[in-house]
Amino acid sequence: MPKCTINGHEVEVKEGATIMEAFYKLNEGIAHYCYHPGLSVAGVCRLCIVDIEGNPRPQIACNTVVTEGMKVTNQAEKIKDGVKWVLDFHLINHPLDCPVCDQAGECGLQDQYMQFGKYSSEMAEPKVKKHKVVDLGPTVVLDSERCILCSRCVRFTDEVSKTNELGLFNRGDRTEVGTFDGKPLDNNYSLNTVDICPVGALTSKDFRFRQRVWYLKDSETLCTGCSTGCNVKVYYNKEGAFRVKPVYNEKVNGHWMCDEGRGIYKFVNREHRLLKGRMKQKGQSTWTDMDAGALAKEAYQVIKSAGEKLAIILTGQYSTHEYQILLKNLPTKNVFHWQNQAEKWNEFDGLLLRGDRNPNTKGVELAMNASGIKTDWNDLISGIKSGAIQTVFVAGPENMAVYEDMKEKIQSLGSVQNIIWTTACKSEDFEKLTNNVWLVPMKSYLEKEGSFINNQGLEQKFKKATTIVSEALTLAEASYLVSGQNIPIIKMEAVDTFIDASRRPDQVTLEHRKKNEFVYKRGSL
Amino acid sequence: MSEVKYLTEFYHLNEFQGLEGYKKNGGYVQLERAFKMKPEEITEEVKKSGLRGRGGAGFATGVKWGFLPKNGEPRYLLCNADEGEPGTFKDRMMMERAPHQLIEGMIISAYAIGAKKSYIYIRGEYDYPIACVVKAIKEAYAAGLLGKNILGSGFDHEMDVYAGAGAYICGEETGMISSLEGLKGQPKLKPPFPAIQGYLKKPTIVNNVETLAAVKYIIRDGAQGFRKYGTEKSAGSKLFSLSGNIVKPGNYEVPLGYSLKDMIFNLGGGMKPGRKLKAVIPGGSSAPVLNAEEVDRATLDYECLASMGTMLGSGAIIVIDDSQCMVDMLGVLTHFYHHESCGQCTPCREGTGWLNKIVHSILEGRGRLQDIDLLLKVADNMKGRTICALSDAAALPVLSFVSKFRDEFEFFVREGRSKVKGTNYAQMHH
Amino acid sequence: MSVVSNSPEKSKWYLTGILGGLGITFKHLITNLFNQKKMITLNYPEEKYEYSARFKGNHVLTVKKDGSIRCTACMLCATNCPAECINILAAEHNDPTVEKYPIAYEIDILRCVFCGFCEEACPVDAIRMGPEWQTPGANGSKFIYDINHLAYRPQLKGGVVSVVDEAERHKSGI
Repeated sequence: MPKCTINGHEVEVKEGATIMEAFYKLNEGIAHYCYHPGLSVAGVCRLCIVDIEGNPRPQIACNTVVTEGMKVTNQAEKIKDGVKWVLDFHLINHPLDCPVCDQAGECGLQDQYMQFGKYSSEMAEPKVKKHKVVDLGPTVVLDSERCILCSRCVRFTDEVSKTNELGLFNRGDRTEVGTFDGKPLDNNYSLNTVDICPVGALTSKDFRFRQRVWYLKDSETLCTGCSTGCNVKVYYNKEGAFRVKPVYNEKVNGHWMCDEGRGIYKFVNREHRLLKGRMKQKGQSTWTDMDAGALAKEAYQVIKSAGEKLAIILTGQYSTHEYQILLKNLPTKNVFHWQNQAEKWNEFDGLLLRGDRNPNTKGVELAMNASGIKTDWNDLISGIKSGAIQTVFVAGPENMAVYEDMKEKIQSLGSVQNIIWTTACKSEDFEKLTNNVWLVPMKSYLEKEGSFINNQGLEQKFKKATTIVSEALTLAEASYLVSGQNIPIIKMEAVDTFIDASRRPDQVTLEHRKKNEFVYKRGSL
Repeated sequence: MSEVKYLTEFYHLNEFQGLEGYKKNGGYVQLERAFKMKPEEITEEVKKSGLRGRGGAGFATGVKWGFLPKNGEPRYLLCNADEGEPGTFKDRMMMERAPHQLIEGMIISAYAIGAKKSYIYIRGEYDYPIACVVKAIKEAYAAGLLGKNILGSGFDHEMDVYAGAGAYICGEETGMISSLEGLKGQPKLKPPFPAIQGYLKKPTIVNNVETLAAVKYIIRDGAQGFRKYGTEKSAGSKLFSLSGNIVKPGNYEVPLGYSLKDMIFNLGGGMKPGRKLKAVIPGGSSAPVLNAEEVDRATLDYECLASMGTMLGSGAIIVIDDSQCMVDMLGVLTHFYHHESCGQCTPCREGTGWLNKIVHSILEGRGRLQDIDLLLKVADNMKGRTICALSDAAALPVLSFVSKFRDEFEFFVREGRSKVKGTNYAQMHH
Repeated sequence: MSVVSNSPEKSKWYLTGILGGLGITFKHLITNLFNQKKMITLNYPEEKYEYSARFKGNHVLTVKKDGSIRCTACMLCATNCPAECINILAAEHNDPTVEKYPIAYEIDILRCVFCGFCEEACPVDAIRMGPEWQTPGANGSKFIYDINHLAYRPQLKGGVVSVVDEAERHKSGI
C-alpha cells in the first residue's frame, strides 16, 4: 500500500494504482477526458499532466503508477499553463456551437474550460471541417466536428460490449470516429457511448433536442427493466421524465446499463398513465371514472362479499414491502405469481441484461414464502373453472411492454365475476375484460419509495423522485382501502403566497444550482 | 581523418548482394563464432562496445537488450527498416547492397537475446530493398542459416519481412509494433516498454538496420576493436546521408566525431558555384537546424550536437544554401508533420495542423506579426507532451527555424514575399 | 404617528393656488384651440405615436435570406427569460447543415415584461424586439404569439432578415 502526497495531502492507495486514482480518492480536481475508470488507459488527451518531484518532465496521471513517497502536484504554474494549452489544442478545431449542442450544460469541455482554462484562444485560422449529423445506428448520432477523439467510445465497444463497431479512421486532425463501411452501431449497450462521450459528439436519438439539460432535475433510482436492478439516474422535470443514465455501483452494474433499460422512463409519463380510477359493470361497454380512493373503497364491498372466493395475482413489479402489506391486509391462501415468459428467466446476455424482465421477482417469492403460500398458475385456472374463485385482485404490471402474455392472461380470467386490477398505465387490453372491473391507478416506481430484490438477492432501496399522477395510489395504500381500512391522508399545507423569497422552500436544490451557475445567477443578471 | 570503409567495406562489389559473394568476403563467419559464445557474453560485448542505436534516438543497444526479462518467455527481435525520416537513405543502401550483412547481424542479435522469431519491417515504398532482403532470406533458409538448428548450434530462428504501408509514424518503435500486429500504426502508451511488453504483448527488441548490422563487427573485432573509430561516448563509425544543395550528395561512412564542416566541404564537394552555406539540418528533418556559424563548430557525434541543441538523429544531413527561403522550407516540414501525425494525442494532432496553418497563412500573405510568436508558443507547448516523439519532431524545427531565421519570417509577414527569393508563395511554386 | 398641523393663516391662501392652476389650464386651452400642431396629446387611436426603431416592443423572429426561420432553437432566450414566457419545441432539421430548428415558438405576451433579455441572449440575432407596441386582443388566446405571428405577421412584410448568415459563417470557417 504505497503512500503518496498529492497537492500536499497524503493518501494511501492500492498497490499498482495510478496517480489518477489517487486524485479520485482524494477528490482533488484534475483535468482529463480520455481516462474513464471503467475502461483501459489510452493516455491520449494529455490533460492530466502532473508534476512529480524529481522528474523533469510533466507526466500523465492516468498512466503513472504511484510509488512510495511520491510527491505529486498539479497546482504548479507550469502544469496549470500546460493544461491550459492542451485545452486550447482541444478547442481549436471544436466548432464551439454550444447553443445548439445537446451536451451544453453537462459538457466536459465547458466544465473544464471554466475550471482549468479561462484563456482567450489565439487561433485565427479556419477550422477543420468534418462530417456532421452522421447516423451511426438506430440509437446514436455522431457529430465529428465536436469530437475530441478521446477514444472512449471506441474503447467501450472494444472492451465492454465487445462488439467492435467503432473505430478511428484517418490520421492527424482529419481523424474521425466512425463505423467500418457504414455498418451500424447496433448493440444493446450502444447508448453508453453517449454517456461516456465527454462532449456532444455522440448524442442519443431518443433524447436529442427534447430538452436542454439545465431544465432537468435528476434523481437516483433503480432500473425496473430487468432483474439485474441497475442503479440509474432518471432525469425529469414538470413535463415528465426524459432519460435514464447509469450510476456507478460496483456490486450490480459497474458503470453501465443496457439500452433496453433506458426505455423505462417512457411508461411513467402522463400520456401513458391511468389518471383516474375506472370501473364498469359486466356487460357494459362504457367506463365510469372515479377518484382512486373512492374506487378502492367501493372495491372493498366486493372483496368483503367474496370472502373465501378471493384470489390475488402478483407481478414482480412492485416493491418488497408493498407485497408484504398487501398479503397482510388481504389474508388469503389463493395468491398466485404471474410469471411472464418464465422459460426465458434464466437467460443472461453476459453483461447486464437478464431474461427476467421484472425488477422484484425475488420480492414476490419472499412475500409468498413468508406467508407460507405455494401455488401454481394452474390452480388458479382450475379454481376459476370450478367456481371456487370468483373475485380476483390483480397487482398488475407497471411496465406492460415486457408482458407479452397480457391478452392471454386476460382471456383466462374471462369467467371470473369481479376483477380489481391495479395498474399504473392504461392499456387497450382492458377493453377486453368482460367482468365487473375496477381499475385502480397506481403510482410508478418514480413516485414512491421502496426496495427491489435483484437477481443476486441484493435488496436495493429507491426513493421518490417526483409526482406525475397525483391521484394514484401505491399498492400498499390500495390494499388498506380495499380491505376496508383507512389510510392517513397527507394534508397539503396551504401555500402561503406572501412569504418572502428568501424563506420560500427551494425549488432547485443546491447541487443543481452548482451544476448550472447560469440558472443560479439569473436573478442577479 | 577521412571517410572510412568499415560497414561498407565491400559495398562496391555487386556479388556482395548474393550469398555466394557474401560468404566469399567473410560472410557468416562471425555467426559461427557467435554461436560458440554464450548469449550473455554477446550482450556484454555489445554493452562494452558502446554501440548506440543508429535509428535516431541513440540509445545504447546493449543496455536496451539488458531490459529484457530474464525468463524463458518467448520474445521477438524486430528490425526497423521503416526509414521514414526525410533526408535519410542509408538503410536502403544497406539492404540493397548487403542484405546478408543485416541478416547475419540479426541472427547474432536474436541469439544474444534468445528470440526465436524476428521481423524486418521495411517501408512499403522500398520495393527494391524488399525484393533484395526477401531474396537473401530465401537464400539463407536454403543454406540452413535460418530455420531449425542453425549451423548445428541448436538455435532455431525464423525471419520474415513485413512491408509497411508508408506511414512515418510506423518508424517509431511502438507504432511499428502496432502496425505489425495488424492494428492502425499508432504508438503505444509507455510504460510498459517494448522490452517488457511489445509485439503481441511479449518482450520485444526493436533495432535499426545499421545497429543490427554493426553487431556482426562487434563480434568480429571485439568491443575494443569496434571502438577503433569514434569517440569515447559515441563509438564506432556511422553512415551519413548527405543531401540538399551540395555538389556530391550521397551516403558516406565516417567515424563518429567527424567534423561537419569537413563532411560538407571535403566529402560532399562543398557548395554549388557562387553559393554560400546558410544552414544545415544535421539529423533528419526533425532535428533543429544549425546556422552557418554553428556548422563550423559542430562535430558529428551524439554529445556535440546535443550540446548545440540539436541531434544526430538518423544521420541525414540536409545542406541548405543561401538561395533557399527558410519560410518556404518550414512550410514543407510543417506540411509533412501535419500529414504524418497519427492523431492520437491532442497536442500533436491539433498542434501540427495549427503550425501548418500558421506557416501557410504567412506564406500566402495572410500572416500577422504576432503569428511568429504564436508559432513559438504553440511549438513550445507541443514539446514533451505526447506519447511518442513526433510532436517534438514537429515542434523542434519550427522553434529553430523561427528563432534562427526570424528576420526572414518578419520580412515575409511585412512584405508578403520571400526575403531570399523576392517572390511570393504562388510565384515560388508557379 | 406624527401629526402635522397646518398653520390656519397659511391655509387661507388656497384660492390663489386654485386660480393659478386654472390659469395654466386656460392658457393651454387657448393655445390648443389656435395652434393645434403644438398640442401634446394625441387623438388615439386615430393618431398614433411613432416610437424610435430602438423601442423594445413586440418580438420579431427574424428569417434567413431564403425566408426560413433563423432561430436555432437553442433555448437561451427561454432560459434567460425572467418571466418564463417563452416556450420552444425543437426538432431535427432535414438539412444536415442546420443542427435543429423550432417547430413551435410561443411567447405569452401577457407574461412578458419586455426586458429585452431574450434579444441579448440570442447568439444568432433570431429574436428582436420591434417598435410595435399596440397589442389589443379580444380574448386570452390572442396574446400567445405563435411562430407564424412572430416571424410572418403582415406588418413585417415577409419577415425581417437576420444579420447573422449561416452560409457566410461556414465560409469563414466558424
